Amino acid sequence: MASAQDTILADLTEMIDAVLGDFADDQVVTMDTTFSEDLGMESIDVIALAGRLQTRYGDTVNFAHFVAKLDLDTVRELKVGQLVNHIAESLAQADEVGAGSR
Amino acid sequence: MVRANGITLHTQRLDPPGPAVDGRTGPTPTAVLIHGMASDTMASWYFTLAEPLSRAGFPTVLYDLRGHGRSDRPATGYALDDFVDDLAALLAALDVTGPLLLLGNSFGGTIAFGYAARHPERVAGIVTVESAPPIPEWMRRVRERLARVAARLPREGAVTEIGVRRGRVAAQRAAETQRMLSDTTLEQELPASPLPPAEALAAIGCPVLCLYGGDSAVVELAPEVRALLPQTRVEVLPDQRHTVLIDRPQEVRRLVFAWLAESCSLDVTQSTTA
Repeated sequence: MASAQDTILADLTEMIDAVLGDFADDQVVTMDTTFSEDLGMESIDVIALAGRLQTRYGDTVNFAHFVAKLDLDTVRELKVGQLVNHIAESLAQADEVGAGSR
Repeated sequence: MVRANGITLHTQRLDPPGPAVDGRTGPTPTAVLIHGMASDTMASWYFTLAEPLSRAGFPTVLYDLRGHGRSDRPATGYALDDFVDDLAALLAALDVTGPLLLLGNSFGGTIAFGYAARHPERVAGIVTVESAPPIPEWMRRVRERLARVAARLPREGAVTEIGVRRGRVAAQRAAETQRMLSDTTLEQELPASPLPPAEALAAIGCPVLCLYGGDSAVVELAPEVRALLPQTRVEVLPDQRHTVLIDRPQEVRRLVFAWLAESCSLDVTQSTTA
């Protein structure tokens, strides 16, 4: 599980940089990094990230629904690790259930 | 990102995870969520009504208006008709051809009415939050509101002060709004928009729900909306202001779903949890 999370974190970091574009800081993204406070991401940036994740992981992760279920206050406190764990769990579940199901 | 009407619009779709909405003859409407002017983006809908609507079975479309969020920001082209053209072109690009449930926050609601005045046959229902159809009194108020924001933000220290009071992200957004107003003709063009003929607005026949904050000045327009569109259900949330959508998402959700069930005959009971 730990190595799966490392891979996802690396993926996510790349996508965060792409979303932030010129505004990306050089800081290292960890599981404890918050989107709002640490990365200065606005809610619209989180949505753009959700869109990229949906493209990357497809319906297996149902990432858009995970994010859209949060309210604006929760989004402000959202940590990178929460997303990594959600993705890891969804992928693991999909493996268990087998291909072709949600 | 979707190319429509000559520009790129940041678009997100949420497909229903379960079965489509029941209890209605004909196809399920697509819910289209339209945000407000200047400091707003699709985020105000994304984190409030988008997921519940999609879970209730509505295919759901969100987009950032031109000039806003992550959509293109052309220097000109900010009259009501431009926004209605964008919406029509976006739906065509997404191949959304069936009935529509339009939800608009603030001026987003005005765009919904503007679209319905031009394409009444497409619209199965309209929900607005703190809004009004494109009528002269509302446009006068939009002009005042925009002028106030445009005058306040460039003042020295204004953005810093917002940062001190409401944090870094709020300051970033204020700075972004200021850039938008100085880089575009929105402040001039939007209030001067040619309006649809009153009879085209009055011919909108679909169910309409208008939500207002009890402490917001916009609620003063409710009688005029009802005179124009007598089918309108008006709901006032006491003690709330213009930002009622993001301040009271649960109550807005409850009122919208009750209206969908009662006025649009859509069975959305499955979705009222969480």
